[in-house]
Amino acid sequence: MSNSVTPAIDGGASVSREQAAGAAPALRTRALSLWYGARRALDAVDLDVPARRITALIGPSGCGKSSLLRCLNRLNDEIEGTRVEGEVRLGEADVYAPDAFVHELRRRVGIVFQRPNPFPLSVHDNVAYGLRLLGIRSRRELDERVEAALKAAALWDEVASRLDDGALGLSLGQQQRLVIARAIAVEPEVLMLDEPASALDPAATLRFEELLHELAGRYTLLLVTHNMQQAARVSDFTAFMHAGRLIEFGDTDALFTNPRERQTEDFITGRYG
Amino acid sequence: MNGTRAATAATWMLGGLVGLCIATMLGLLFFTLGSGLASLRPGTLERITLADGSSRLAEVVADDGNALLLRTSETRRLGEGYERVRRGDVVARRAPVDAFMIGLGDGRRVLGIGDDAALAAAVGSVGALARVVEVLRPNALGAFEGAGIFLRRLARFVATPPDASNLAGGVLPALVGTVTLVLLMSVLVMPFGVAAAVYLHERRGVGARIVRTAIDTLAGVPAIVYGVLGLGLFVHGIGAGIDRWFYADRLPVPTFGGGGLLWAALTLALLTLPVVVVSVEQGLARIPSSLRDGSLALGATREETLWRLLLPAARPAVLTGFVLAIARAAGSVAPLMLVGMVKLAPASPLDGAFPYLHPSRQFMHLGFAVYDAALASPDAIRGVPRAYACAMLLVCVVIVLNLSAILLRNRLRDRYRALES
Repeated sequence: MSNSVTPAIDGGASVSREQAAGAAPALRTRALSLWYGARRALDAVDLDVPARRITALIGPSGCGKSSLLRCLNRLNDEIEGTRVEGEVRLGEADVYAPDAFVHELRRRVGIVFQRPNPFPLSVHDNVAYGLRLLGIRSRRELDERVEAALKAAALWDEVASRLDDGALGLSLGQQQRLVIARAIAVEPEVLMLDEPASALDPAATLRFEELLHELAGRYTLLLVTHNMQQAARVSDFTAFMHAGRLIEFGDTDALFTNPRERQTEDFITGRYG
Repeated sequence: MNGTRAATAATWMLGGLVGLCIATMLGLLFFTLGSGLASLRPGTLERITLADGSSRLAEVVADDGNALLLRTSETRRLGEGYERVRRGDVVARRAPVDAFMIGLGDGRRVLGIGDDAALAAAVGSVGALARVVEVLRPNALGAFEGAGIFLRRLARFVATPPDASNLAGGVLPALVGTVTLVLLMSVLVMPFGVAAAVYLHERRGVGARIVRTAIDTLAGVPAIVYGVLGLGLFVHGIGAGIDRWFYADRLPVPTFGGGGLLWAALTLALLTLPVVVVSVEQGLARIPSSLRDGSLALGATREETLWRLLLPAARPAVLTGFVLAIARAAGSVAPLMLVGMVKLAPASPLDGAFPYLHPSRQFMHLGFAVYDAALASPDAIRGVPRAYACAMLLVCVVIVLNLSAILLRNRLRDRYRALES
């Protein structure tokens, strides 16, 4: 199954790499460290996430991948006892500046979680939720932007006739695409996906990966995945993390075929642990 | 094998206990409804002849095996007709078809035997002194006529005010008082209950611990203590203060400084607050944290998340709290005796005069009507049927209030069912 997808992606990725080389990163961290109470979850992470590309974040469980994502949009603020050091820049903006407007930053960095988390509202209202937060009240504008987001998430054809039905009645795959539609409706610059396909069956996963490619042209995607083949298939760049540290970052093909670090090699060849 | 057997035994035991609970509940319900409705049914009039040769026309209202309790004609005073005779003394009982009964507005019943001319004469002489509310020949009633009389009595009981003695007539003011009180209570308790639950859910500090302890303690306080609290805090504290500042010209006649509907509703709101808080907090706790994160990640503030997502999703739990509060409040009578519930209110707190709802007025209550009819009337046996009827009505009020709240909740819950699984 992966064979049928890989060639097409390779073609796309080789073009993108050349373009990405000179572009400014959409998201940049410098010496980013995170503590949960006394436990250190991230250790001086320096990561440049290239704009409008897919960057995969791989590493063993508990290595800090999800923590890193939650640092980038400051969702960790909601957990008591967390402490952050270092710098995160979204474009030019300093995410952890004392006067940073957290809610505006979060809108610019969308996140999709491992298990789809549609709100207990209708399909339409799920996608319109973020738009209403922006103060959009006009029914027509809401409808148009909801439709655009659902089309971009490849869900429109399946739900066009039941926009007012509860979102919890959709299948898991549909729910995950709905959550993506909800995230991209507010036009974020970066879309982070935390193991978004792990709850999906193989067919839905395949579809989902195609969707990621369509989105990559418009958004900067940061994809956490446990699935090495998925990372290799889908991403342009890959970052390998271990024990809270960023071990290696580079072009996906290069990292998978010719890793610089011993730990990376052990992990991608399955010798790890 | 062993495990299966143990599980089976436990299943049977649990099932038995649940069955017992349901049977008790249904038994109580049917007893109350049955006794209440039976008290409104026209009873048979019998001519009872005793061994000493005397005979009287009476309705047998109770029969304990040894003795019969008769209710004979009451021409002068309510309750004078009750008479207990030994079963062994009764030599003959028969039910004459031409027996008649004249029901009077003060609850008295004048009995007689004779043709229509005799009945008309009796109505004429009795009616000169008292208001006649009902004339019937109970032994000659067909099934339909009997049912008609029963329904007419039920309507009169529910929809008319009581006689001056409060021992006869309807209970409309008590019914209105009960429903108004419970509705006003629910309007008052919900905002506070939801706010307290949200506070407890969002905060984990010392303040939240103090509030939680206070609410847990409130739940364990006996109901009558709430009455004392309401009297001291609301009536003598806040109420007297309002009178001093806004109604000084009417003093020493109290306006809000006496017991009244508002203070009673606030007292009940305190009583039901823990129920609402616990229910709403559980509902908020059941909402997966991923929904909260999802909302925050879209750029919502905590407040926006609360108003747009968490509270709407917790709506079934809020309504469950509402149902429980209503059930608790409608059944609480003791604390109300101190804060404005009276046997006979001079004016209804709900009437056609602007502003329609008069929160400072005293009110009547079905629970108190039960107590009053059963114990406070001059002789106990006479009040019991009326107590049954009042109890039946109170149970019906609670059932109707609960059912409407439950239906409302279920309609909402269908939308959120997938959340709970």
